[in-house]
Amino acid sequence: MNIEQKETDVLILGSGGAGLFAALHAYKGNPDLKITVAVKGLLGKCGCTRMVQGGYNVALNQGDSVERHFMDTINGGYWIPNQELAWRLVETAPKRVLELENEVGCFFDRVEDGSLHGKAFAGQTFDRTIHKGDLTGIEIINRLAEQVWAKPIDRLEDHRAIEIIPSEDGKRISGILMLNIRTGKPLFVKAKAVMLGTGGGPTMYRYHTPSGEKSCDGLAMALRAGLNLRDMEMVQFHPTGLLAGEGTRLTGTVLEEGLRGAGGHLLNGKGKRFMHDYDERGERATRDVVSRSIYREMCKGHTTESGGVHISMGHLGPDNVRQKFKGMVSRCKDVGADLAGGLVEVVPTAHYMMGGVEVSVDCETALPGLFCAGEDAGGVHGGNRLGGNGVANSTVYGGIAGDVMAEWVGREGSFANPDQSAIDAALNFIETPFRAEAADLTDLRYRLLDKMWDDAGIIRTEEGLERAYTDVIALREELMQTGIGNTTKEYNQTWHDWLNLHSQISVSLAIIKSAQTRKNSRGAHFRDDYPEKGDLDTSTYVRVWQEGDDVAVTEIPVEFTRVKPGQTLIPEEIEQKTGASL
Amino acid sequence: MENNQKKITVSVWRGGEDGNFENFQVPFVEDQTILDLLTHVQRTIDNSLSYRFACRVGMCGSCAMRVNGKPRWTCRTLVSTVVQNDELKLEPLSNLPVVKDLVVDMEPFFEKWQEAKGRFEPSDSPVTEFVPIKPDDKQRQKADEAIECINCGCCYAACDVVESNPAYLGPAALNRAWSLINDAKDFANPERLKAVSGDGGCQNCHTNSQCVARCPLQLNPTRSIAGLKKAVSLATLKGEI
Repeated sequence: MNIEQKETDVLILGSGGAGLFAALHAYKGNPDLKITVAVKGLLGKCGCTRMVQGGYNVALNQGDSVERHFMDTINGGYWIPNQELAWRLVETAPKRVLELENEVGCFFDRVEDGSLHGKAFAGQTFDRTIHKGDLTGIEIINRLAEQVWAKPIDRLEDHRAIEIIPSEDGKRISGILMLNIRTGKPLFVKAKAVMLGTGGGPTMYRYHTPSGEKSCDGLAMALRAGLNLRDMEMVQFHPTGLLAGEGTRLTGTVLEEGLRGAGGHLLNGKGKRFMHDYDERGERATRDVVSRSIYREMCKGHTTESGGVHISMGHLGPDNVRQKFKGMVSRCKDVGADLAGGLVEVVPTAHYMMGGVEVSVDCETALPGLFCAGEDAGGVHGGNRLGGNGVANSTVYGGIAGDVMAEWVGREGSFANPDQSAIDAALNFIETPFRAEAADLTDLRYRLLDKMWDDAGIIRTEEGLERAYTDVIALREELMQTGIGNTTKEYNQTWHDWLNLHSQISVSLAIIKSAQTRKNSRGAHFRDDYPEKGDLDTSTYVRVWQEGDDVAVTEIPVEFTRVKPGQTLIPEEIEQKTGASL
Repeated sequence: MENNQKKITVSVWRGGEDGNFENFQVPFVEDQTILDLLTHVQRTIDNSLSYRFACRVGMCGSCAMRVNGKPRWTCRTLVSTVVQNDELKLEPLSNLPVVKDLVVDMEPFFEKWQEAKGRFEPSDSPVTEFVPIKPDDKQRQKADEAIECINCGCCYAACDVVESNPAYLGPAALNRAWSLINDAKDFANPERLKAVSGDGGCQNCHTNSQCVARCPLQLNPTRSIAGLKKAVSLATLKGEI
């Protein structure tokens, strides 16, 4: 092999909550292991855990229970979650939060008696969302990154993962082909165990919340490696993204849920409140309902100048709004809008992917040696993720993956020689934009984002999804013919924009095919041609995988391993139901 | 509409430690940030331009650079607030090695964060309960005042002591040390006080307060460093360090 090589016992892709926890736990499990964290930007600075505003769901207080947290998660997920994964999440969360406070060094907001404050979050029957102001993610990631820096854990920053490389015999993982963004040179990292924790991030929609570098690389690699993904039709839209035109990257970023909770009004282009036309809860309805309602208004043409709706807070008193939502007011001011006293244009924005790689409760994938945690993994949330379950998921399962990998490497880990043909093919592939004739990449990107928004977005139909599939396949072909000119490879963002687009297209196809397969409407997935949620007892989840240039899908019955629709695990509710009070 | 036609001249650093400025004419767009402007240059004028960013909303601290000589986040700095005579000058952050164009290597910054023991040290024996700390706890309030730093490096780049003394730990690392000294759950003292009182330690600060002036989050590292100086003196008097 004529490219640079490196060996490490454990390689972790990503430095969000999953990646950093995996590194710390693998180290704790076996400090003699060589552990490496590779990340597309700087450690702890990119990734989505950092962006968490709301908080962390955990059953800590009297009156709450892991059973209650579990039932909220299952109900919230419309009975589609893998119940074993959901159970392990809620069961481990209290331990993980204690670890965050007392070993990692986080500090979460307290109430008068000095215990942790749990706030109310939509879709939950108990106020269990612990937080650090509205910057919970920053506190968690900063503290985790400090711990990782302090330990003998290798960092490959500004390194992009290109391909999962199997062993020569294809029976296990050999390592990851990477690209050093700074030098533009490839690097093969041979590893005994690898964890995929690059995060999802539905950035293939016109309006989206995740960081600019997110492009579903992990899921795209998993598809190419032949792994099964699940629940890919489930893309969560946040109802109030900032709408400030195409000229600014601030468009799509989240204006927090609390604005509606505090009593903010949504007004259509005619200046009229409309939420009560759709739901009796008005603006305080759940994310999916509000997003769909705004989208309906947009489809009717009742839009503001830039094509969205307005959020209005002024009736709550501008000074009050300024004080309560300082960060949000300042963000709006950056785009010339007055949130405290005026109107701000907002639009639903793609936020989170419930779907991901099919994994076991120990984060194992179908490829021995490859583990997966965080938003790259699917099954925990099913049809919808509760606010506050995202950071719980990444930190709980990142830690589990670290524990499991440390033990697995000791038991079964060995270096395997890579499938050279897979490396050669990937190296050849990443050169594509330097061979093809230069063309307008930005325009192609906008066409993908518009296509996904229009035909595979908040409200879907068979016709639209079919059109989306054909058109996105065509965009993929066009991308392969789109070059970026004869330019440097060193820290070349345009090259990475090209590679990002390729990943986004692969995952878009998985989303579209899965959405075509689900012929009912649940959680984040809404079909105008199949608006009913369907029979819960025969719930299925959609599995998708890549076959050649196409994606294949099938529906798998959900196994109700702990609780069936109509039942509950919450002790006091069981008592009520059975009348058993003895 | 007139604004849409107006152009400004942006002078951008190109190359590594050695390099030169290159001028770009870009349209002035109301409500665009520096990051948007750089994106415009990269997407439509010169696709080899390098600049770092991630979150795009002031949460990750990846995108800082010098704008007309002063360190700023590019994602939250409106062009209209910094443009002078229709001109802008963009350079990589000072006091850090340049990778390419506007991208710096932040390694020395994070190494110093560790040298200052800028990390939580848990108790040797596992703590199995949440430590009850009241919201109005004075010590916790001091920790909280310094805690929201997102390590963007603006203060480090603005600090003249860092510039003249490469060993100086710098405002961000010392600010973090101060928040930890006020963390009732932390067990690193007196080692941390030793770490911040050596040759590159807190005594170097001469309260020029450029860190305060340049912190995009309005934190006050100078105050934190003053706190450290007092704590170090006290610990020295008591013979603890």
